[in-house]
Amino acid sequence: MSMRTKQPETKQVDHISFVKPQIFDVTPDVKLLWMKEVPNETVRLDLFFDAGITRGNKSIPAIVHSLLLSGTKELSSVEIHEQIDALGGFLDTDISFETAVVSIYCLREHIRPISNIVANAIQNLAFRETEVEDVLRSMRQQFAVNQQKVKYVAQQQFRKHLFASNAEYSTISEESDYEEGNILAYKKYWKQHYLEGLTRITLVGDLEVDEVDALIDLFGKWAVDGKVNHAGGFKFQAEQISFPKEDAVQCALRMGRFLFHKSHPDYIDFQVLNTILGDYFGSRLMSNIREDKGYTYGIGSGMMDMHETGYFVIVTEVGKEVLAPTMDEIKFELKRLQNEPVPEDELDLVKNYMLGQLLKSADGPYAMLDMYNSVDMYDLTLGFYDDAIQKIKQITPARIQELAKQYLNFEDFLIVTAG
Amino acid sequence: MIEFNRFKLANGLTVLHHFDSTTPMAVINTLYDVGARDESEEKTGFAHLFEHLMFGGSVNIPDFDAPLQRAGGESNAFTSNDITNYYDILPVQNIETALWLESDRMLSLGFTPKSLEVQRNVVIEEFKQRYLNQPYGDVWLELRPLAYKKHPYKWATIGKNIQHIEEAKMEDVKSFFKAHYHPANAILCIAGNISLEETKRLVEKWYGDIPASLKPERILPKEPDQKEYRELTIERKVPNNAFYYTFKMPARKSFEYYVTDIISDALGREKSSRLYSALKKELKLVTSINAYITGSMDEGLLIIDGKLSDGATFEELDKALWPLLEEIKKERMSEAETSKLLNKIRTVKEFQEQGLLNRAMNLCLYELLGDANGVNEENTLYQSITADQIKTVANQLFRKENTSLLRVKAIKE
Repeated sequence: MSMRTKQPETKQVDHISFVKPQIFDVTPDVKLLWMKEVPNETVRLDLFFDAGITRGNKSIPAIVHSLLLSGTKELSSVEIHEQIDALGGFLDTDISFETAVVSIYCLREHIRPISNIVANAIQNLAFRETEVEDVLRSMRQQFAVNQQKVKYVAQQQFRKHLFASNAEYSTISEESDYEEGNILAYKKYWKQHYLEGLTRITLVGDLEVDEVDALIDLFGKWAVDGKVNHAGGFKFQAEQISFPKEDAVQCALRMGRFLFHKSHPDYIDFQVLNTILGDYFGSRLMSNIREDKGYTYGIGSGMMDMHETGYFVIVTEVGKEVLAPTMDEIKFELKRLQNEPVPEDELDLVKNYMLGQLLKSADGPYAMLDMYNSVDMYDLTLGFYDDAIQKIKQITPARIQELAKQYLNFEDFLIVTAG
Repeated sequence: MIEFNRFKLANGLTVLHHFDSTTPMAVINTLYDVGARDESEEKTGFAHLFEHLMFGGSVNIPDFDAPLQRAGGESNAFTSNDITNYYDILPVQNIETALWLESDRMLSLGFTPKSLEVQRNVVIEEFKQRYLNQPYGDVWLELRPLAYKKHPYKWATIGKNIQHIEEAKMEDVKSFFKAHYHPANAILCIAGNISLEETKRLVEKWYGDIPASLKPERILPKEPDQKEYRELTIERKVPNNAFYYTFKMPARKSFEYYVTDIISDALGREKSSRLYSALKKELKLVTSINAYITGSMDEGLLIIDGKLSDGATFEELDKALWPLLEEIKKERMSEAETSKLLNKIRTVKEFQEQGLLNRAMNLCLYELLGDANGVNEENTLYQSITADQIKTVANQLFRKENTSLLRVKAIKE
């Protein structure tokens, strides 16, 4: 059975066809990206707003985001959802650091009526008192639940201290944010960040062009006026801060630092280094801390992209009693990347893996649109990915070591633990 | 419509082939007909621990993941009370690497002591992360033994007791493998831009020589009909009171299963559902409420869970909830409501067929249920459900003596 002991021959991915969506100008600063070639009836429409959590204080961005479909003068929130459900539609809303998104999933025959319902609901949002109370009640409770999760506490505190130099970016939620509604402030925020805050629309679905035009007419009136400004130049203190929780059996750990924007010349090479360190199942951190020591269910690292910068972070939850040895092992792995060249064999594996993942990320209209969006959003083009393929193929162990020395010094990290 | 071909190897392995020329990726999905329900009560958590060990090297290959990653692919798995499912996604030109790896671990595992020791620890950390270190995380550990008295659904996949994992021995692991991991107990699906002929050739090449074993006969203790209302209150350091009502429901293969699914949607799937609008929006008794089904192969559960608003009591909720359940038993559901629920199911089905991995997993699951083509018939089945059937099934479900209620009472830290 000798064939079983040797891996069958493999071929590295050498070509990926990246498909560009059709682009419509809603205004000079706001685009609609459309992927038309879909082999079935499904449609997804995403509305992006300049309404991320850093766009206001006292949790107002999150509260208003939750209130978006809470009712107009004529329709209650239940009635609005009833109408959307009757058409078999699904709504999804998401709020991140710098952006808020409202998404519609449905069959193509229903995209027009569902879009009308959503547009009407947001345009004529009435901030009904009972609905505001209901949302605040739920959010207050969710806040209390989150406070008991060490993972959540670590994540919030990491953000607070990493963005310490910027008030908007470092403010985290407090219980008092949900105690009393401030309808005037909510209204002001809604007008500014939704009714005048649409930054882009993305659409996947086999529709007719006039249907796309109709969507532009419908939502285009919310287009933001001019370019949106995002903060950058953040300063933080490299220090270790712990948030003890007596009865926790695990400790959540986050450590990281600012690095650079997606357009930085070191970005792609650093992604190779990041993958080796902690961004795939066979990474050094996973192999050592999970697969060799069994300290954790999972550990990983990654780059968080922002409009003006980006940061690097290592995330894990480990048994409380093994927190110290885990930190030592992380330090050991960082040092090892700085002091020893990555073996060719390991580097080859990572290259193949990354190219395979890139191929997968471009597979199908939904994945491809997301892929396009995640460069276009930062004013980059599909050339980014062609460049990535070349850089991944060419990178050397020496270059990786150089990047590790430059960017992965344990002393430069902010370290937050909770538990 | 998901097209597929089916063939069987001499050793009993069932193979499904799904052709898709539009994707550069291939999926190899392997479903093993073994889950936590097949464990003995003294050794729970084994099916799941075993899933971890399947990545710890096989008889001829010391490491599972690295060769797959070298081929540009990735892999994962999950264990439920009913099945264990493994999948690999990789560029189609390298599909043979996945077949090499998957067939070798079906042939035999490496069974190294190191792998067992490490994965035992990893699973213990998983247990802590998911069940102990989360508010409300241990609810299922309490709820299952309340709802089930005999059937092995009374323990969770992680195990009923972490000690069982701590004490797992190599000989236990080996005998578990011998009984459940062999061709006759597996369904393999190969999906992607690869022809049926090539699939047959490669599957025969890599799996053909794996020795056959008899498919184990599944004799599970039958859960006796529930004849009494059950309730249990536990105290936990959580922010708010929470409730979990469970109702026994028909097994996966019955038509009533689909009807129950629709009933759970009507009650609490969306923000226009009955319980959401009455209990949260009108009466303000809860801050969240959901209704859903466990999807179990054997007799499963319909669950209504949620959290009480500050100041609301369990008794108030109970008084408000039952009349709503009575309503669905007594009054025929309107056409508008059934059509709403069925429209949503149509949308979900259409989106599910979007991904190659989803298609491959669903084909295997339906093959286990009796026929892979079931995946193509399911929507028609749902669309055929009538208001009368909904009423009939609701009457079987929502009886006091069919109910088990778990209350989590919040106490201060």
